[in-house]
Amino acid sequence: MSETAHQDHTEKKAFLVNSSSLKEVRTFCRDVFEKLHIQQDLKDELVLAIAEAAQNIVKHAFKNSADANELMVVQISCENDKLQIAFYDRGTPVDPKKVKHRQIDNVKPGGLGTFFIQEIMDAVEFKDGKKPWINHLVLTKQL
Amino acid sequence: MSYKVTEDGSIATIHLDGEIDMDVTEKAKEVIFPHIEAGKEVHLNLSNVQYMDSSGISVLIESHQKALEKNTKVIIKDVSKSVLKVIMMAKLEQILNLE
Repeated sequence: MSETAHQDHTEKKAFLVNSSSLKEVRTFCRDVFEKLHIQQDLKDELVLAIAEAAQNIVKHAFKNSADANELMVVQISCENDKLQIAFYDRGTPVDPKKVKHRQIDNVKPGGLGTFFIQEIMDAVEFKDGKKPWINHLVLTKQL
Repeated sequence: MSYKVTEDGSIATIHLDGEIDMDVTEKAKEVIFPHIEAGKEVHLNLSNVQYMDSSGISVLIESHQKALEKNTKVIIKDVSKSVLKVIMMAKLEQILNLE
């Protein structure tokens, strides 16, 4: 936990659901974390966790979608030094029970994104998506 | 992501540059895998890679495993601090050949 209080702040942005948006997601996160004066090492970890969650939306929630105009929204909020990152999308409904990473000692390509998210964040929660959204993922971290 | 390849006998040195994410993994594989398939020892220089996500880590694992199948090896060189953190988070620092 950091000793410095971070100012309350909320920002959100919509991105097209495709792999080329992931760089834009990272840039957005880095800009917000810069405003929040989050230290570099933690910033790198948070950007990775958020980018992995966005990648999961592209890879899994929209696996069978051909609509190039679909959007996902990323909202970053900081209140009382608690960071909350919310993701909204209209892809295939996620079954939280099926979201799991591979065994970390079973070395093979894939299955690490969810592990990274869980390692970095304090909590990972799938909430009911309110219209027009279908999936609503919330990551939290005490700063 | 950009790259530069130099070949010296049985060693192919590949410098990757930029951020390695899902969007560029196919390109990274296209650059790395042919050298492994040809039985070369691949030196993968990551000094100019400041960001790598799980997709990039998967390319490193797949490269390592392909090299073992071909009785050669991939040596990861000059890895940046930020990428090393991700490799360590994946508990791969003892599995991949890091120099």
